[in-house]
Amino acid sequence: MTLRTACLIVLVLSSTASAQSAEPPTLRAHRATVSGGVTWSGSYPVGTRNAILRSSVVGASPPPFTLFSAASTVASIAGLEGRVGFAVTRNLVVEIGGAFAKPRVSTAISADPEVAAQVLEGEELQQYAFDAGAVWQLPFRFGRRARPFVSGGGGYLRQLHEGRTLVETGQIYYAGGGVRYWIRGGSGTRRSLGVRADARATWKKDGIDFDNRTRTFPTVSAFVFFEF
Amino acid sequence: MKRVWFAIVAIILSSQSPAQAYLKLGAAIGGQVIDVSWRQPVRYFVSDRDGTGATAADLRGAISRATATWQAVPSATVRFEFLGATSVAPGGADGRTTLGFLDRPDLDRVLGSTSFLIDTTNGAIVEADVFFNTRFTWSVSPQGEAGRVDLESVVLHELGHLLGLGHSALGETERTGTGGRRVLASGAVMFPIAMTAGAIADRVLQPDDIAGISDLYPAAGQVESTGGITGRVTKNGQGLLGAHVVAFNPESGALVGNFSLNMSGEFAMVRLAPGPYLLRVEPLDDAEIDSFFSTAIDTDFRVTYASRMVVAPKGGSSASIEIKVPPK
Repeated sequence: MTLRTACLIVLVLSSTASAQSAEPPTLRAHRATVSGGVTWSGSYPVGTRNAILRSSVVGASPPPFTLFSAASTVASIAGLEGRVGFAVTRNLVVEIGGAFAKPRVSTAISADPEVAAQVLEGEELQQYAFDAGAVWQLPFRFGRRARPFVSGGGGYLRQLHEGRTLVETGQIYYAGGGVRYWIRGGSGTRRSLGVRADARATWKKDGIDFDNRTRTFPTVSAFVFFEF
Repeated sequence: MKRVWFAIVAIILSSQSPAQAYLKLGAAIGGQVIDVSWRQPVRYFVSDRDGTGATAADLRGAISRATATWQAVPSATVRFEFLGATSVAPGGADGRTTLGFLDRPDLDRVLGSTSFLIDTTNGAIVEADVFFNTRFTWSVSPQGEAGRVDLESVVLHELGHLLGLGHSALGETERTGTGGRRVLASGAVMFPIAMTAGAIADRVLQPDDIAGISDLYPAAGQVESTGGITGRVTKNGQGLLGAHVVAFNPESGALVGNFSLNMSGEFAMVRLAPGPYLLRVEPLDDAEIDSFFSTAIDTDFRVTYASRMVVAPKGGSSASIEIKVPPK
């Protein structure tokens, strides 16, 4: 499903929100929620390294001679994400999620005296993320049917190089928030249908990273959710 | 058993014809080129002749340190065995491997050189002799001495040849006022031109050297725990012979080089740490060609990077990548 398709679904569902309940919607305790949608991750660097030769200079620590410099970046990418939650209380949901995307790792070459600076096309990764977290619904509303929440969690990242030739694994942690909008239900015993938008700051540790540093990047997701 | 004196491989102070990548020495046997290597351990003598600025004892010390450096490569299995001092000078086909100082005024640019006796039925090295030219002033100072050639660095290089490694082209040179070439920087102990007299950096092996020796004498499990990269260099749709391909690991910073070695432009690198690599293809300098390719090679192309990283998978080899180079 593309991002455009998902937005259309959200618009269609929004337009059918005719059944307005008098009681403001909220999560219901001990109910499960299933969400599916699209997610977008921002780009982040994965390391800059110089190709170094030993310079021919007298001394125990000769200065390095740079053949070229390579700065690699994982490009921003849209993907698919699904989440399953369980409302422990009316305000607290614990949930697990999974996401898939195919970002590219591009590399910018510079400082090569024989070649102009350039950005290489890069390789395509297959990226899987699995996480567990909690969503805390805040005690106020936006309008009649939207309620904000904050969320946080962590999980496992699996990145496969092009051609599935090599697997790199890491951890992800996130914190953020969003808004739930009930199109239908959300009160009484009726099943609920709605849309949800999340914005998160994501920290990635390990996985593909040539400097072995923790990276931070934004993640934005849009879901359709069903509460049973 | 047929035996034949094999190529002389030298390290030089400055040159008009340097360079080749991490390559193994080979012998043509039954229509195929096979690696030249020892059936270990390498048993050797050291000549008792003193050199200029260094005694025979100094040489034995330098050889002891350099053999320890090669033996310490964890991904390779290399074993040396010192048999004692000898009054015999290196160079004769006497069945004994001998290293020592030798006065070679006719080779006034050559610091040291290695020659071999090869069993041409199987590529086994039967004997190898190494000389270090007394025309140069040597140093064994731990910190190095300006104006003197570091003996341990040159011993380490020649022992690489003795083990079966060729020269590496991983380095940058510039022309000197006398028409020769001077090394600016190198990425391998096996680079054919020595560093400035007094430099001691080449007492330590580099990734290119380690990949080469690990290919020749792989330690147990090396084949399974390392990876390879294969590909083709083409120009105008045709394979290109003699292109220098450099693989760069952006995680470790390791540089390993090799050449496209046939008319299809195919190249292969093995014993690489698994992971993604950037590939840079460059032509040999005009001055380097004759020493390493007996046939004509194409140097009329621009330095080019592969459009994407190539992954050396653990225990296997990458799918072949084509790198198209444009003419100059």
